[in-house]
Amino acid sequence: MSTLIIYFLGAFVRYWLITSEYQNVIAERIEISTPLNSWKRVTEGLHLLKLGIYPYAGDSLHESPLNLLAFNCLVKIFGEYLHIVFVVCDLLTSHLLYMSAKKYMEQIRKTQERNKANYAADAKDLLLTDKDFALSPIYVCVVYLFNLYTIFNCVGMTTTVFGNLFTALFLMALNYGSLFAALPLAIVISQSFYPILLLSPLFLHFVVTRKSYIKAGAAVVLCVMFWSIITYLCYRIYDRWDFVENTYGFILTVPDLRPNIGLFWYFFIEMFEHFRSLFIYSFQINVTILYLIPLSIRFRQDPMLLATSLLSLTAIFKSYPCLGDIGFVLSLYPCWKHLFNYIQQGFLVSCCFLVTTILGPTVWYLWIYSGSANANFYFGVTLAFATAQIFLITDILFSYTKREFSLIYGRIRKLNSKKAQLMLE
Amino acid sequence: MGILTDPSAGQGKITKAIISYHPKLSILLYISGITWFCFLAYTPLNAGTYFSENALLPGLVKSEFRDDGSAKLFYDELQDEMKKYDNSIPYPWILAKFQQIGLDTYTHNFTLNYPLGKSNTKYNGKNVYGILRAPRAGSTESLVMSVPYRPPTNINPTTAPGVAIMLAFAKHANRQKYWSKDIIFLITEHEQLGIQAWLEAYYHVVCGRRGVLDHGDLRGRGGAIQAAINLEFHDINIDRMDIKVEGLNGQLPNLDLFNLATRMCTKEGISHTFKNRENRNYRDPVKDWNYAFQTLMTMIFTQASGVPNGNHGLYHRFGIQALTLEGFSDRKTTNPGNFLSVGRILESIFRSLNNLLERFHQSYFFYLLPSSDRFISIGLYIPSVCFIAGALFLKACGKWFRLYKYLINLSEMSAEDKRNLELTENANENIKIISICGIFLFTHTIGILLMNSPKLITTVGSQYGYNTELSLYGGFAIIFVLLLMIPVLITIKTCYKSMTVLHVVALLEAATSLICLSMYNFSLGLIVGTFYVPILLLLEPCRCRAYSVIQKLLWFIAHPFVTLTLLVTIYTIFNFPNESFGENVLRGISATQQAVVFAIVDFMIYSNWLYGVITCVMVPNWICFWCVLFSTAKTDAYITIEKKND
Repeated sequence: MSTLIIYFLGAFVRYWLITSEYQNVIAERIEISTPLNSWKRVTEGLHLLKLGIYPYAGDSLHESPLNLLAFNCLVKIFGEYLHIVFVVCDLLTSHLLYMSAKKYMEQIRKTQERNKANYAADAKDLLLTDKDFALSPIYVCVVYLFNLYTIFNCVGMTTTVFGNLFTALFLMALNYGSLFAALPLAIVISQSFYPILLLSPLFLHFVVTRKSYIKAGAAVVLCVMFWSIITYLCYRIYDRWDFVENTYGFILTVPDLRPNIGLFWYFFIEMFEHFRSLFIYSFQINVTILYLIPLSIRFRQDPMLLATSLLSLTAIFKSYPCLGDIGFVLSLYPCWKHLFNYIQQGFLVSCCFLVTTILGPTVWYLWIYSGSANANFYFGVTLAFATAQIFLITDILFSYTKREFSLIYGRIRKLNSKKAQLMLE
Repeated sequence: MGILTDPSAGQGKITKAIISYHPKLSILLYISGITWFCFLAYTPLNAGTYFSENALLPGLVKSEFRDDGSAKLFYDELQDEMKKYDNSIPYPWILAKFQQIGLDTYTHNFTLNYPLGKSNTKYNGKNVYGILRAPRAGSTESLVMSVPYRPPTNINPTTAPGVAIMLAFAKHANRQKYWSKDIIFLITEHEQLGIQAWLEAYYHVVCGRRGVLDHGDLRGRGGAIQAAINLEFHDINIDRMDIKVEGLNGQLPNLDLFNLATRMCTKEGISHTFKNRENRNYRDPVKDWNYAFQTLMTMIFTQASGVPNGNHGLYHRFGIQALTLEGFSDRKTTNPGNFLSVGRILESIFRSLNNLLERFHQSYFFYLLPSSDRFISIGLYIPSVCFIAGALFLKACGKWFRLYKYLINLSEMSAEDKRNLELTENANENIKIISICGIFLFTHTIGILLMNSPKLITTVGSQYGYNTELSLYGGFAIIFVLLLMIPVLITIKTCYKSMTVLHVVALLEAATSLICLSMYNFSLGLIVGTFYVPILLLLEPCRCRAYSVIQKLLWFIAHPFVTLTLLVTIYTIFNFPNESFGENVLRGISATQQAVVFAIVDFMIYSNWLYGVITCVMVPNWICFWCVLFSTAKTDAYITIEKKND
């Protein structure tokens, strides 16, 4: 009953806002709509499509042709009631996240039961209780439903709503250990490219939990195959390849430097043209490869955590980040609710989130409308926002390692009769 | 809660220090914030003003304005014309003059539908403006020179000399070949209303509530307006030029424009003042600081109200840099006037502005002025308010860590201890996040409703025959009393954990909004911070009955509604010491009523945020703290636990 009320409330808030006069204001915010996910651009593409003009002829559309076709169908079927699709998709996402968190907690329980013998004697109260297992999935769902970032993302009618849906589907399939996970992953990769990093948790999941390299390889190959098929279909629609430039090319080379909450625009706006490619490479390597390998090695035993940390890092560092990505990641964190007590900077990080979330639109207003502040103010705030997110994810990862250590070696307080402290080095 | 007991979790040295010292540290932070701010007025700690934009320098060349004779003539004619029009601009005469000079001349009509009360009162107004088309460029950019026209019946000092000098300057400017920006000569009616309507019509936007100010339409436009100079000359013989900068919602023009005006005044040998205080240099550093600080505080108080102190203040929101030159005569002599120097000041300013290649972007937009040749930039002054808000963050942090420690202690207690504790307080109760969210949503909804209530209140009030002022004040008073009852509805009063969380969240809200507020309007942020933060630091639910009553009383006084009434009444008592006390109180209350109505009308016509901020942020926050004060949670047990463990 209470779950129903929660879902109903979540739907109500979204429906109310999406039909209110604020919808336009929210959809126009650069924090929510980026060139990559704005529904306005999709509408533009659809209009060109209707006129029989090649939709990438303008410079505004950055969805893949297949997605555009899918949106076309959606618009045709639902017409006036399109906003309901967004609300329903968001509700579905929250439910999928709930399911995946539930499955994940079951896995943790199994691992805990299995390894109980190896744990240190005084680590008993570090073990998770039934209450923890039961509550975490509900928290995941509630956080997704009532997180301001995801609410605004849905109300802004961004295509990230669908991206989140497929990512959630992927996470669920991953936790259920189904090879089917490859398909939603291929779809999100074709939409926003960066989820390609999630191949690593996909691979590791089958290696670790199924102990089968064949299955793992198959999953990756399957995903790449699906992706290729999608790309080929995209090509077949117009028999032209230049959509690649407008989708993947647009994501990777970052030609649109409209301010957003990311870290790219501020640097590239002032960059000398001949240094541009060098820094594009270094920035993109930072998002894609830099964290992938160390994290994959360290957290290979827990693909879900790996997936979350990769999602979180891409949400911070990607070229066109939006609040929808961040809201999605934030709602995954309650899976590690039991680690929250280890977190060192929890209060600091939440203060940072609060202040930057409110200060960001403030300085944006002062910059754009009053003309008194400038880009540096806004970038300063988004930088603080990004820092807070980095603090949060490092804190969670560190707490995770700390807990693992304590489980095995007990909670050592003294080392050589001195007070010991775990350090991250 | 087992995991909470991890020793390495959040129990570092800093945490311990914050838990034990946070009350003292936050007071220290507050004091250092205030001290920081006070020291800013000390000359060696702020910077001298300088021209950032080189394009503005040409105004320093030799002036050519020689039309002081015609200015005098215009002035005499205008004096005659003004006698014929008691209550409006002498339109025919001004239109004729503009046309004679050779400007594109237009009029502009606007209507105000008074937003309060039942009856639909309408006020009409009419502005006149002439555009000098730039000979050297298309009409892509323009400058504005405006004068608020005041008919003889107006109680404010006349601005007729400003109209005269404007006409003379227009006559001079029309003969020059170097203009690359249109110059719009604008004469407005009804003070700020006229300029607001004109600007809204120029940009075709509505700034306030829809349907309140009908801005009408303009038939002639120049290009994008780069800068505007508003003239309020009260005498034909101007000895002293006061430069006014504070705009709507505390916005300021670019510092370069202010510098330009001061330099040009100096160049033409007319002494300039800021806040009617001339620059003085004392040898004695204390005296020097004291003088500068007083000037600074005058600016702070003007800026904090968010009400522009001249017509220039309404340009700022459109990205137009503007200031007012207010000319005074100090000597009561009848000499022929110094239209020559004043005209040359205007000429130099406009020649400089004419030379601008880009819109103002150099120099500073956020600054404070302790004198007209020194300034304090945002980098210097923002730390003070950050320290003040930091005190609140620190208190929130300290309370949070205490709660955290309490939870740890609780989980480390033996079962028997726990059972004992159970008798005295409900320690096992969980934090009720839903109730806390509920309280927050509820209070903020009330805030938004309150913001939108004036129309309704005055309509109801007028049905019972009360006037606007009384019905608004009475309505707010009733709502205020009703809101005092809210703590009765709160169900989590007895739960120590939930009340602490509520307290922490309310503190965080206060601190965050303080920081944002001071980004918008530093002066308002500073004043609100200085006044509220010490009280907020004091507030702490406790069991001592007397102390609790004192706190409640203090917080009661701190409600914006009560504070305003008290302040205005005290101000009245000090200003009219001869009247009886009762008379003064009545007078104070009626002044408060007017202040409330002004704030609301400003909010509806000009969208001055002060009223919105008070109803949407301060009042809800106030209610949250009011609820916290009614916490009946027993904290004794908690303290004993702490003692036992340490």
